[in-house]
Amino acid sequence: MSITQTEPRQADRPGHEPGALEKAKVARDRRTYIALLVPAILGLFVSFVLPLAYMIRMSFNQGAPDGVIVETFTLDTYIQPLTDPFYWRVTLDTFQMGVIVGILCVLVSYPVALFLARTTSKYKGLLIAIAIAPLLTSAVVRTYGWMVILGTNGLVNSSLKGMGIIDTPLKLTNNMTGVTIGLVEIFMPYAILAMISGFGRLSYQLEEAAGSLGANKFKVFTKVTLPLSLPGILTAFLMVFVLSISTFITPRLLGGGSVQVLATEIYDQTTGLLNWPFAAALSVILLVLFGAVIAVYQRITKKIGG
Amino acid sequence: MNSTKLSIVDLTKRYAPGLEPAVDRLNMSVEEGHLVALLGPSGCGKTTTLRMVAGLMDPTSGSIVVDGKDITHTPVNKRGMGMVFQSYALFPHMDVAQNVAFGLQMRKVPAKEQAKRVAAALDMVQLGHLAKRKVRELSGGQQQRIALARALVVEPTLLLLDEPLSNLDAKLRETMRTEIRSIQQRTGATTLFVTHDQDEALDMADRIAVMNGGLIEQFGPPTEVYERPNTHFVANFIGQANFLTANVVSENGPATDGERYYKVDIEGLGTFGAVGHPGLTGTHELVIRPQRLQASLHAPLGANSITGTIERVSYTGDTLGFSVRAGERLLHAQLMTSSADMPRQGDTAHLSWEAADAYIIPKTPQGPAS
Repeated sequence: MSITQTEPRQADRPGHEPGALEKAKVARDRRTYIALLVPAILGLFVSFVLPLAYMIRMSFNQGAPDGVIVETFTLDTYIQPLTDPFYWRVTLDTFQMGVIVGILCVLVSYPVALFLARTTSKYKGLLIAIAIAPLLTSAVVRTYGWMVILGTNGLVNSSLKGMGIIDTPLKLTNNMTGVTIGLVEIFMPYAILAMISGFGRLSYQLEEAAGSLGANKFKVFTKVTLPLSLPGILTAFLMVFVLSISTFITPRLLGGGSVQVLATEIYDQTTGLLNWPFAAALSVILLVLFGAVIAVYQRITKKIGG
Repeated sequence: MNSTKLSIVDLTKRYAPGLEPAVDRLNMSVEEGHLVALLGPSGCGKTTTLRMVAGLMDPTSGSIVVDGKDITHTPVNKRGMGMVFQSYALFPHMDVAQNVAFGLQMRKVPAKEQAKRVAAALDMVQLGHLAKRKVRELSGGQQQRIALARALVVEPTLLLLDEPLSNLDAKLRETMRTEIRSIQQRTGATTLFVTHDQDEALDMADRIAVMNGGLIEQFGPPTEVYERPNTHFVANFIGQANFLTANVVSENGPATDGERYYKVDIEGLGTFGAVGHPGLTGTHELVIRPQRLQASLHAPLGANSITGTIERVSYTGDTLGFSVRAGERLLHAQLMTSSADMPRQGDTAHLSWEAADAYIIPKTPQGPAS
């Protein structure tokens, strides 16, 4: 029997300090990592930072009739919407629509997401794919679909009339009701995906543990399942909120011109009135709204994430 | 004699019709205050059995009786059992005290008493100072203790432990073993303990149920399953074993505990002494534990001796193991190390045993013996 005596490793020796060689290696590694990041940073810079900077600069220009842009530095573009009650109402409507669509979308998506996250079926992957398959069709097509369904002579109204529940058709399009219904359905796949990925801490075993400690099914849900799925719910809400206040296709088409939100207003200013500086200022206001909501969201997640 | 706390009658679980049952007509009764280990390899049905007792899974047939009451169809939240999960399953959104209080809350225990019992339970696992900590700030060993406190604070009818030590490192596992056992004995909680670790089972349990393929192969105290294995599987699964195929030649008079000494013939090696149930005849397997073999490099130490060549020596510090080849057979022996001369590969060695240490497995072997 013999025990091979190995030299103690250099790092184990007392008083060992990184030598010049090691320092050089660390520096070299750092340079490599930075070099690897350059393409991505460049891409982001060109596609994201530059346009944003351009837009912010644009918002301080002066718009003139016929799409003429006067290069200047003015706050008029901001003062106008911030002093005009019409734009206050539009901003408030936008915010309200985002909140309502967010809440409704989360409510209808939650059971689906919960089921998909917890199922042990071998078809789980397929079921998730089916749930998010609507993303394969464009929102325009789906909006037109909803117009057909919700229209005066659409599926809903003719069914209700046929059953004798109503006499005059319900007004489900060209108003906020139609926009809300359409947006809720269109954003469901996003909400479901966001929730599934946000249910990380939820596990079947925790529910079993609660059960074994005497909790009935209702208590298991309120004490364990719901609190643990809260992060997913919040993420989904935020996502749907942001998506709905920035979308203009559905509000424009299902709203039929009578629903005015920031996104449709920006669209009109850009393509209709060709007032780019004003559109840019509205976009910055929308961006600030996003930022505020995201800040609140982070506050809350920090609290519940404990 | 204690009274029966839990009896399991013909319990069967089939995950799908046509499939082999995961648990096959299992019968067992557990005495009040005992710790019973369900021991077996993965897939033997031990966890399935535990989950059926807990109420987390419905049996296909059979019944579970606790304190004389049939609870087979009682829902999990009405069974009043305390379960410790393999992953501990502590609620991540609650602090330690809230976790432990959960069961009391569900039982609508008054807040004042809750606080008192939670504090007592935390003191029992020596973690009173961590009451306000978040679960994720705890080490594996601490989480394990909290899970135990949470299960015990409700004074459960049965304590169910599902491989509670398998996520801990080796050192901690031994500490927790002693601790769980001492807490269990202090509280007197009748306990069902699922493990695949034979050392854990031997060390902690009052009774061991060795399971294989959905069946209990043997149910008895640790010494019995180790010393007197009913089947080849039990002997092989618990501890190390030498198996020798032997023909019973004659009965040689009474041994202790109603057993008999036998003279057996091992093909090609001669006749030897062994011990077994009364009335054995024909071909059986003989099991001899490696550390019950005595070894000598010079001359045979007794009548039951096999001579061979050392093929391999393994030194682990505490013990010295070596494999001796005698014809086609390879025997493993294990000695405590000493400063005396060390056997070397290629040396001739004589392995001998007391007749009482060569146990004849009562069931005739099926298939080739290893």
